[in-house]
Amino acid sequence: MKKTLAIILSTLLVLAMVTTAFATEVPTFDGFVLGTDYTDITATIKVLSHRTDLVNDGVFGAYVEEFNKVYPNITVEYEGLTDYAEDITLRLTGGDSWGDVMMLPASLEADEFSNYYTPLGNLAEMTEIYNFINNKQFEGTVYGIPSTGNAQGIVYNKAVFEKAGITELPKTPEAFIAALQAIKDNTDATPLYTNYAAGWTMGAWDAYLGGSATGDPDFMNIKMLHDADPFSDRGDATGPYAVYKVLYDAVAAGLIEDDYTTTDWESSKVMINNGEIGCMVLGSWAFSQMVEAGPNGDDIGYMSFPITVDGVQSASAGADYCYAINAKADANQQIAAMVYVKWMTYESKFAYNEGGIPINKDGEYPALYAAFEGIEFVPDTNALDSEATLPDELNTESALSLNRGNNEKVQKIVEAAFNQSQTIDEIMANWNEAWATAQTDLGVTVE
Amino acid sequence: MGPVNNITPTATANTTFRDWFIRPNVQKWFVIVSFAIIPVFMLLLFTYYPFLKMIEFSFYNMSYTKVRGFYGLKNYIDIFSKPELFSTFRISLYYMVGALLQIGLALYFATILSFKTKGSAFYKGAMFFPFLINGIAIGFIFKFFYTRGYVLDTVLQFLGIPLESLPYWLRDTTINNWSLVATSLWKYMGQNMVLFAGAIMSVDPTLYEAAAIDGANKWHQFRFIILPSIFTVLTLNVILSITGSLSAFEPPYVITSMGGNGTATYFIKMHQTAHVQYKVGLACAMAVVLALIIIIVTVIQKLAFKYAFRNATTETKVAKKSKGAK
Repeated sequence: MKKTLAIILSTLLVLAMVTTAFATEVPTFDGFVLGTDYTDITATIKVLSHRTDLVNDGVFGAYVEEFNKVYPNITVEYEGLTDYAEDITLRLTGGDSWGDVMMLPASLEADEFSNYYTPLGNLAEMTEIYNFINNKQFEGTVYGIPSTGNAQGIVYNKAVFEKAGITELPKTPEAFIAALQAIKDNTDATPLYTNYAAGWTMGAWDAYLGGSATGDPDFMNIKMLHDADPFSDRGDATGPYAVYKVLYDAVAAGLIEDDYTTTDWESSKVMINNGEIGCMVLGSWAFSQMVEAGPNGDDIGYMSFPITVDGVQSASAGADYCYAINAKADANQQIAAMVYVKWMTYESKFAYNEGGIPINKDGEYPALYAAFEGIEFVPDTNALDSEATLPDELNTESALSLNRGNNEKVQKIVEAAFNQSQTIDEIMANWNEAWATAQTDLGVTVE
Repeated sequence: MGPVNNITPTATANTTFRDWFIRPNVQKWFVIVSFAIIPVFMLLLFTYYPFLKMIEFSFYNMSYTKVRGFYGLKNYIDIFSKPELFSTFRISLYYMVGALLQIGLALYFATILSFKTKGSAFYKGAMFFPFLINGIAIGFIFKFFYTRGYVLDTVLQFLGIPLESLPYWLRDTTINNWSLVATSLWKYMGQNMVLFAGAIMSVDPTLYEAAAIDGANKWHQFRFIILPSIFTVLTLNVILSITGSLSAFEPPYVITSMGGNGTATYFIKMHQTAHVQYKVGLACAMAVVLALIIIIVTVIQKLAFKYAFRNATTETKVAKKSKGAK
């Protein structure tokens, strides 16, 4: 009797094991071991990427080659999209067969993630292991893992700064404008190159609003939502007002390029490398591109944005585009995609090679981050669960679209400063008004 | 009932159907319907269905991926109450002026080239060529053309104008819209000209001879023979150019980076609303308003032309009649 029971039980156990082995259940991001699990999986996955440059010059191809040494049966195909932010949203509306991995677009609001993407794991658990993991999450479930991380600062030419007689890097807006003036007076270089015409380079100014301008991780996604006038002058050269005022003052004082309407992004890299440009306000991702743009890579330096809050200088830091996996693909495809994304995060050194902050917390920092010594990285905390979609909604409703590609509003600051058609206080008052109207429309309580 | 009874009515039905089907009237309709059904279906599917959908979207607060709620007329009220949206039609005036200039130039060249000019085929080809270039490519060409110290400035300096006295073609807000209009004129003038030239070619050359005998000079020939004869093409070109100038998009999109520096047209605003701010409902409402405005403007032009050329049309009729009498 006992024997029969034992046989029945063991058969059941074996059956259960067999079924688990065959029931292709998609694991969580940390639910499998890279290099040991799923090595026999066969699949062809398609990755949609915004980095057309890396797709076209075979850099991704080289990563895939490395990946195939461990997972020979997973074929990875890349497709680069030139106007990524715009095109990807249209792709998403076109059905579920867009591919297997995409960079999660900014146009999606947090509560929509689960309609499209495979959950990667629990936020609380993943926060222990990864940087910036809260960027694409909803109600404690993570849907996107950052491809790389960026700190926000200013890329500058050390030789130009030296020639202008700047001995200490500016830490306040006032000192920064003085430094730009010194460059104008003592060198032939353009003190600050706006890259106005490229557009997105102007929208990039929004990235400094959080950590760099306030030193407060809660500012962007929690406090600002209930702030009646977040763009007002705080009187101590901090906050969003101070960020945009730097731009306004630099333009008004003629410390930018001669004709801002015809700037050219590709040549700006060469110009800063040659010492024809003093500095550009861009994220840390730009550093490696400026170094590689010409023979004077050693002259390129990186510094934090010149705002000091209570004696402490901080830098906004955050995720670049995040990988997300198509939840509507076959389980097999999803597993292959998960394996590849995890490999890109852990093994590829992609973040390091791109000059980014590592995503796994024990990863290596590239050399440029030495420039941030003594400066604290301040990533934004996520919104409260009770108002998870509010940051996106306010952003859309106010039409300011901060950090979401509204380059026009920052370009307008340049135009207003140049033509002296509006003061910075008037512009910021308009933004406050748009913000307040959106708060009223959405019924947000204001403190 | 016997089998015979069963067969007979069926047979009758068959004959009647065949009889009915081979009737010329039915055949005619059958051919019309079978030829038309596919194009009509495609027209409905790809033009009218999306248009109706767009009208539906315009009543919602939505992004591409999410419907946030029914808005009623709020989107439409927003368009007219937010000056930054509706005021962009002011920019269209630049393009309208440009369009009229473009028609004038096209008419001028078409007329000259239709009078046995040497190398007229070459000139026509050369002037038509820009129309064949992609609008985005033209944008990039002119971006460099207008850049400080580049093509245009170099040519003008060569002509002896110092760089200091030249304006910044794209930065100076008093002239940058004209710079953009010029690119649009450069592109579309050739197309208008070719259309005019085609219409002028269909004028009976004996009319010129007859007119010359009657003592008419070239201007008279243009005014009283060519202009009335190409009236339809002229109306069409003006209407197309004016409606085109209401929806100008490519020059400001490419040359002044999405309508920077006060060059944003209504179309650019619509694009930004949908693709930067993700307010798809509002953008759809803007598109509906634009469609209505275009219809209104077209009707006004139709009426204006009818009024302006009320005599010209009778003249053509008279000309045709007299020609028929010969």
